[in-house]
Amino acid sequence: MKNSDSSPARGQKTVPVGVGLNRLLGLVAPVFRQYWLRILVGCLSLLSVDLLQLLIPRVLKRGVDALAAGTSSPHALLGLAGIILLVALCVNCLRFVWRLMIIGFSRIMERIIRDRIFAHILKMDALFFEKHTTGDVMAHVSNDLSAVQMASGMGLIAAMDASFMTFAAMGFMLKINVLLTLLALLPMPFLAVCTRVLSARLHQRFASVQEQFSLMTEFTRSTLISVRLIKAYTMEKFRTREFDALGRKYVRSNLRVAAIQGLMFPIATLTGNIGMLFVLIFGGRLVIQSRISMGDFVAFISYLYMMIWPMMAIGWVANLVQRGLTSLRRIHTLLTSGSSLPDTASETKADPSFSLRFLSFSYPSSTAPVLRDITLEIGPGIHGVAGRTGSGKSSLCKVLARLYPVDDGQLFFGGLDVNGISLNSVRSAIGYVGQEPIVFSDSIRANIALGRPEASREEIEAAARSAAIHEDILTLPAGYDTLIGERGVKLSGGQRQRLALARALLCDRPILLVDDGLSAVDVATEHEIFAGLRNQLQKKTVVIVSNRVKLLSMTDHILILEEGRIVSDGTHDRLVQENSFYRTMYDKQMHQEDFQVTS
Amino acid sequence: MNDFGYTEEGKIGSVGDFRLWGRILIFCASYRVALSWAVFLSILVTGASLVLPALMQTCIDRYIASPALSPLQRIDGLWRIGSWYGLLVIGIFIASFFQVVLLEWIGQSVMHLIRQKMFSHALELDLPYFNAHPTGRLVTRLTNDIANMTEMFTSVIVTVFNDLLQIAGIMVVLFMLNGKLALLMSVFVPLAALVTLLFANLAREQFRAIRSQLAKLNSFLQEAISGMSILQLFGRQERSRMVFESMSGEYMRRNMSQVRLFGVFMPLTDLMGSSATALILWYGGGEIIRHELSLGQLVAFISYMRLFFQPLRELSQKYSIVQSAMASAERIFELLDTERTIALPAVPVILPQVKGELCFDRVSFSYDAEKQVLRDISLRVPAGKTYALVGTTGSGKTTLVNLLLRFYAPGSGTITIDGIDIAEIDQEALRQAVGVILQDVFILQDSLLANIIMDTGSSRKTVEEIMEKTGMSRFVERLPSGLDTLIGEGGQELSTGEKQLLAFARVLCRNPAVLVLDEATAAIDTESENILEQAIADSFRNRTSLVVAHRLSTIRRADRILVMAGGRIIEQGTHDDLLAAGGQYAELVAMDLSQSGEQEAKP
Repeated sequence: MKNSDSSPARGQKTVPVGVGLNRLLGLVAPVFRQYWLRILVGCLSLLSVDLLQLLIPRVLKRGVDALAAGTSSPHALLGLAGIILLVALCVNCLRFVWRLMIIGFSRIMERIIRDRIFAHILKMDALFFEKHTTGDVMAHVSNDLSAVQMASGMGLIAAMDASFMTFAAMGFMLKINVLLTLLALLPMPFLAVCTRVLSARLHQRFASVQEQFSLMTEFTRSTLISVRLIKAYTMEKFRTREFDALGRKYVRSNLRVAAIQGLMFPIATLTGNIGMLFVLIFGGRLVIQSRISMGDFVAFISYLYMMIWPMMAIGWVANLVQRGLTSLRRIHTLLTSGSSLPDTASETKADPSFSLRFLSFSYPSSTAPVLRDITLEIGPGIHGVAGRTGSGKSSLCKVLARLYPVDDGQLFFGGLDVNGISLNSVRSAIGYVGQEPIVFSDSIRANIALGRPEASREEIEAAARSAAIHEDILTLPAGYDTLIGERGVKLSGGQRQRLALARALLCDRPILLVDDGLSAVDVATEHEIFAGLRNQLQKKTVVIVSNRVKLLSMTDHILILEEGRIVSDGTHDRLVQENSFYRTMYDKQMHQEDFQVTS
Repeated sequence: MNDFGYTEEGKIGSVGDFRLWGRILIFCASYRVALSWAVFLSILVTGASLVLPALMQTCIDRYIASPALSPLQRIDGLWRIGSWYGLLVIGIFIASFFQVVLLEWIGQSVMHLIRQKMFSHALELDLPYFNAHPTGRLVTRLTNDIANMTEMFTSVIVTVFNDLLQIAGIMVVLFMLNGKLALLMSVFVPLAALVTLLFANLAREQFRAIRSQLAKLNSFLQEAISGMSILQLFGRQERSRMVFESMSGEYMRRNMSQVRLFGVFMPLTDLMGSSATALILWYGGGEIIRHELSLGQLVAFISYMRLFFQPLRELSQKYSIVQSAMASAERIFELLDTERTIALPAVPVILPQVKGELCFDRVSFSYDAEKQVLRDISLRVPAGKTYALVGTTGSGKTTLVNLLLRFYAPGSGTITIDGIDIAEIDQEALRQAVGVILQDVFILQDSLLANIIMDTGSSRKTVEEIMEKTGMSRFVERLPSGLDTLIGEGGQELSTGEKQLLAFARVLCRNPAVLVLDEATAAIDTESENILEQAIADSFRNRTSLVVAHRLSTIRRADRILVMAGGRIIEQGTHDDLLAAGGQYAELVAMDLSQSGEQEAKP
């Protein structure tokens, strides 16, 4: 239950249609081809198991018949018992083989597709990640993948097993009596249909249970995490009442699942028993009318027993396969969605400078461009960029870092159109410090050395010192080896930002882009850091996005962006005189009245 | 008090812990009628299922295979038994359905009961507890541990009960048929139990290994996706791909060993079934030759044996669920047994109309017995006055507020309101008399109005009046749909300033006698600040107020300023007095002014 049914039915509405089944299967076919021997061995073992299982009743029948005729001896019985045991042992081994082969295959396939998805998303641009949220991709890699795995593992087995058993049992039954077979099988399609309908609904209802469960978890988490506030506002009873309502909803959604589960298995028993009833009445009549023998009658009953599970399985398999295909389709869409960044193989060593010619850029999600007609040369020196929220400062940095696509003839790197050179030749020249510092669950050392894993201890510490994070790191329990991230020590926003800066400094690349990268660090520290870096940075091409006048005053040249356009540029002194936005900002920040006793 | 060996990871519950079962049963007590119905239905279903083959047997023996009767009589009898059979079949269907739903209802309701009890218990625990226990773990108690137990209740108890009943029923029938053969068959019971136990233990180990690897894989993936641009910019793609593939490979290997384990164990039950059949044929056949057993009995034996192994197999799969449920139950009861460290008053004093005189008398406090946070603080705030607390981080300002709200109990000394020790007051009454505005705000996913009213039951009109009076209607008007604006996750995002305004509105709606304000340290937008200033001025008037202050405007408004350092009050007086005295306060102010002065001078 945990594996198959707990995957929420997310995204079911957004199933892209129109991808041909052939192309879908083309995604998995090579894997099937690669492991054909494994699959063949698995299938053969499965069929052998089924055949051998049909053998046991026959051996048994021989023993019983001999006993009935009084021609049996203890010795002969021992022989027959030995045969049964032997067959059972074979079945046992073969079952192990098909499990290992086929379910093992489904696991191998799962791995291959998973690795392929990851390799694919590594190549995607920022637009892709705007369209596919982290949660979406995670869902593809966990839920969709496990649906495909289930379909190609248990689904394959059950389909094969069920159809073989059905045909075998049906064959034997037909040989005994055609009419009786039809009568006995009359309720069976009903079972298949019921299982199909019910298990599809079960899946939906499970999804809603899952949803309720995560609502409840989130409610609990948000309550307990701010328990101080809850208590301060005496909201305990209020929250408990709300939790009660959530809990009741959860109970209800569980009961809806139970209603289906309460139907599914009893229906199987019911259909089996009704079939049995038909056989009893009509088969019994046939025996009485001497149209079939007593032995045939008993055999018929055991064949009917054999058919109950395959009939349930057919409905179940149909759902499994359908779910698998839906998931495969989603994975297919993911794998075929390309990056809009053209990447050529031509590695170029070019001057670390950008020139922008009437560069415009807009996100596909909105029609209004965020950057308009920007013409600009960014060469060695420190460039400041300021502007209101939404004026396009960050977008400019991201476009320069080649995270977003630009049209031909708008952006040149070292004199070459960026669309004509490889992404890597631009990116490897850039050290980037973003607004939201990203840390990975690893040691501090590894986090700083992200771009240069081979860096020496001294180099790493020097970078940390330059970013004013060295002292902070030394206070942590294991210094540079302290684990940070989800399971490790939590760093403050300012510490994370300084770490991200150290990471970029360590790479010592010719270009440095700092996109409001120290916003959580106080003004004085930020100032100190950049003052310390001044000499080092002077030779590089540096772009600093910030709205802090103190920092901007250190730059050689400042651009003011407004609604994606450069509305003004010049040195700090000039802008203070001439630009009203800059002037207001300057006044506000320099004449702060706030009495900030705490730091 | 309890000696449960509590460990978080890898604790295996003891299935035979009667004390634990007893405690679970206590919660079920109110559902005993429904439970007896469920048990009754269970017995009905199992009994009827066992009757079916017998009915078939009778039909064959008495009518189908009895040439003594005329064909018409035989067919007549066939129909009679057939209709019984049909009735029974439908009866089983209906009874099973109701049994499943009924048990699910009972299980879910009991779990709901326990969950509610845990939730309100958790909220009653005091802050020292929350500081010592990570929130994530508590959340797990309330969600996953409960889910574990529910699973046991619904899917396990139902089937286990049915299965055990069926096994017992079959054993009875077998013994009735032939004692010796039945005795021989009962050898399979301990054998099956052994296999089950072994399998359950091995499977659980592997399951855990798979889970932990999956968690690793997923968190790596999640990090990689959210940090993709950084990975790309720093040229880490190839390296990440290699790490991911090795993790993915390890996950596959762990799954493979699970496949192998299942491959070994799953067919074993069938092997046992076949062995039993072989044994019956050999030994039972011998008995027939010795005329100790009839052929019909032998056939019946074989068919009952088939029914016997099915539930055994089910039981082996459920065993591990019961184990983990018991471990969860232990953890749940451990939480329920946790007692508060700050004792509640045995007979709480009823607070009369609060005037609001606050008094700290020689109060000392430390969080961890190592570092003294407050040292011998004595302080009296007369009713209706505003006192401001200033001092550097760690000087003890917030701790003072924590003690006043009785989030923590002072190590020594007393705190009184109107002369009544707050330890003697009911906590809820205390916190209603003392309204607080903290730096962060708890936002419900609801309209602004609902967020202000919460559980006070005030009307929209009252809220509008209060907002109007304190000038906060300007804040409301700024939001797209005024008081009906949805805020919280998925709704309108509030700025730091707006959040403080919301907290203010909330507290004013409750009209507390004492107001405690922990001013936001982060910069807030000018407009919010203006509104806030008016609201502060308005609500401080004639109300006892204690402010952890960061803004000069607030400090100036106070009747008295208390400067704290190292857990002591080192200076007190008005703004002008303190400036004139030239002590720590003057230094703090000067430092701040000189800083901005330097900034001014620089360009």
